[in-house]
Amino acid sequence: MEQKELRAWEALCIQEEPPACRAGCPLNVDARSFAAAMAKGEWSSARAILEKSMPIGGIVARICEAPCEQYCIRKDLGGAIALSALERVCVVNAPSRRKVFRLPPRPKRVVALGGGLSSLTVAFDLAKKGYPVTVYFGGERPGGSLNYFPEETLPQAVVKDELNHLEKLSVAFKPIENFTPDCIASADSIYVGQDDILPETLTVPIQHPDSATFALAEPGWFTGGMHGKEHRYRFITNISEGRQAAISIDRYLQQASLTSGRAALRNGKAKLYTRTDHIAAVPRKKPAAPAGYTLEEAIEEAARCINCQCLECVNHCKYLENFGAFPRVYARQIYNNSAIVKGTHMANTLINSCSLCRQCEELCPNDFSMADLCLEARQTMVREQRMPSSAHWFALEEMHSARTEGSLVRHAPGAETSDTLFYPGCQLGGIRPQQTLRLYERLLELQPLTGIWLDCCGAPAHWAGRKEAFTEIVQQVEKVWQEMGSPRVVTACSTCLKMFRDHLPAVPVESVWRVLAEQAAVDGDPLHVMAISDPCTARDDGDTRAAVRTLLKGLGRVDAPLPMSGKLTECCGFGGLMDCANPAQARQVAEARVAQTDAEIITYCAMCRDQLARTGKPVSHILDLLFSDLAHPAEEKPQSISARRIHRRRLKSALLNRYPAEQQEEKAAWEDVELIIPETVAMMMEERRILEDDIRKVLHKGANGGQHFVHDQSGLAIASAVLGAVTFWVEYTVEKDQYRLERCWSHRMVMRREKA
Amino acid sequence: MNLSFLPADMNWTCQPCGEKLQPGMVELEYMGNVFRVELPVCPKCSAVLISEDLAVGRMLEVEQLLEDK
Ligand code: SF4
Ligand code: SF4
Ligand SMILES: [Zn+2]
Repeated sequence: MEQKELRAWEALCIQEEPPACRAGCPLNVDARSFAAAMAKGEWSSARAILEKSMPIGGIVARICEAPCEQYCIRKDLGGAIALSALERVCVVNAPSRRKVFRLPPRPKRVVALGGGLSSLTVAFDLAKKGYPVTVYFGGERPGGSLNYFPEETLPQAVVKDELNHLEKLSVAFKPIENFTPDCIASADSIYVGQDDILPETLTVPIQHPDSATFALAEPGWFTGGMHGKEHRYRFITNISEGRQAAISIDRYLQQASLTSGRAALRNGKAKLYTRTDHIAAVPRKKPAAPAGYTLEEAIEEAARCINCQCLECVNHCKYLENFGAFPRVYARQIYNNSAIVKGTHMANTLINSCSLCRQCEELCPNDFSMADLCLEARQTMVREQRMPSSAHWFALEEMHSARTEGSLVRHAPGAETSDTLFYPGCQLGGIRPQQTLRLYERLLELQPLTGIWLDCCGAPAHWAGRKEAFTEIVQQVEKVWQEMGSPRVVTACSTCLKMFRDHLPAVPVESVWRVLAEQAAVDGDPLHVMAISDPCTARDDGDTRAAVRTLLKGLGRVDAPLPMSGKLTECCGFGGLMDCANPAQARQVAEARVAQTDAEIITYCAMCRDQLARTGKPVSHILDLLFSDLAHPAEEKPQSISARRIHRRRLKSALLNRYPAEQQEEKAAWEDVELIIPETVAMMMEERRILEDDIRKVLHKGANGGQHFVHDQSGLAIASAVLGAVTFWVEYTVEKDQYRLERCWSHRMVMRREKA
Repeated sequence: MNLSFLPADMNWTCQPCGEKLQPGMVELEYMGNVFRVELPVCPKCSAVLISEDLAVGRMLEVEQLLEDK
């Protein structure tokens, strides 16, 4: 990933953008965090949050007119959060813990004419940066209008406190009468704060400043504090002008551009998206006493803050939630991951755990696609040869097996051509072989020239980021299709359908559910409520989703829609090879999915059925309803990885039996090894991805003069074999001609006896 | 790295060699990294026994570490 691409990804995710309140605060106060601290009664940290952005916080927090409130997202849900009143109660109750902190002194001198709010802001901001500032105040004391507030609004002691703080920051206060033309000569920059009473000789010649930088025509001169009683937000606006002028003065004194790279005020324009349709209106808390909130009232009011966030995608995706942040951060982590030359690639698991289901794209206001981000990252890892070889190993082995020993393509028995090829998909064949055969029968009834095509569409290679391997598969698939006379393809797998549509646009392909729906019975009496779980690969396939609903209606089923279904549907935990790279997370995803309903779940993807059924919830496949004599119980456990392999071979041989002229493929010798597999070992095999086939191969080798180990007392034996990239081990006992399995394990490290 | 992974129970005999396994130095290799470790070995045919504990424990850990390097 190039830095430019990272920036583009980052720009799409607006979760880090300030919420409306902050965007509406001219001082950029983090009102969301402030409200959160207040709601917890953490007064001191709430005050610290205010003072992080406010100059002379004790004063500003008491008098700010809170323009932010007009933008608050709570506005129409009971009224804006009373930030103004909350800020007051905060500073009244929590003394400032602010330290006198000043950068090393700088030689350039600043003079502020006028001692009003805007000048005090200039003095505060620039003094902290190390500039010596002299404030020439009008009237008897510095502060201008601050001296005329009622005591209960702004106690004079508070003003005094803040002025003391400024003096500690090396701000000097002098009466305006002391100001002479010499003072101008010795200053490097001058600010004219119009929010104080100044002699006309000083104010009359002042022109209107630049509206963004507050610079006057004369270099080094700036002005602000231009608003009086007529302005609804005059105090905060004058303060804001002081702050903007201070930014300009600092840039001017450093001989930097006044404008380049300068963040403009947002004036309430927030990019952060916050969904509110699930938020109930709660009326604004009214203080019982005119003086303002009590602490208890303040907590209650602050707790109304929505804590505006986007997190639309994260709130619905276990994967995004599990990694503890949100896509903008993930994009950065993935970028950093690809930049590492030496050291640990921390984001490998992040990249490989996404199901590529694309729900995030649907939910995100900016269509951020975690799927594209992760898929590209996987492709890069494969290209740069740093994809962990174990990450997708099992799925790729499965694919290989389905494409070799499990694959078959034939015209219908006795036919020379095919009008249609039925492509059940490797998972349906592995999980529901009997139903697959019946479904083929049904299609033959509808169209006698329907051939059969057992294969894997290559989705695992695509998901694993193996671009080259996938392209090769796609080409092979296309070639087979052409050799069969380029017929229509009908598939029972949403993933195969999507793969064909996305990568082989020349192939006319259709979902078997649509073909069947055309023949569907008139609606049966609604008997039974079920929740349809759409596979994630059917997200963009409204026609197939509708066909399934038609079929189910015909079977007397009523859909109790899952909250996340149709276009918003989510993955079962298998997609994108999540189950391979992060099995624990795949379990969580399935649990979260089934928790969305109390109704019995029905799906039309064999893999979804098994993944969801792993949770123990009853889950049916639509074929269980269509062919009730071949129905599997909804409570049935998922098929084991070994069974899927064996089923595929059997399905193929059952089909081949229909072509008497053809020779069946010969069984391998190891297939006859007889196993006794206790339940605990079966579970171990499933979890460790060890197939019966693997074990038979290991034992077959051991039994035929191969080397093995025998325990001297227990009689247990251990055999091993290297099969591809993995070494498999089996511990067993022999009972007559059968092997009783005790344990099995595997590793990828290669062992070599050291040469002496 | 010089580590010993001898199981508590060394009472294994290699078949068909008929030799009792003995501690021996073995090289384990993964992704170009080589480790010398001590494991039960058949003195005659050099067959090595990798226990379940080792395979699903330290070995797996190291494999994963190296894959993320
Ligand atoms: S609800 Fe809270 S976070 Fe959202 S705009 Fe209002 S104060 Fe800010
Ligand atoms: S939906 Fe997710 S990716 Fe999109 S802006 Fe919100 S947090 Fe970011
Ligand atoms: Zn031996």
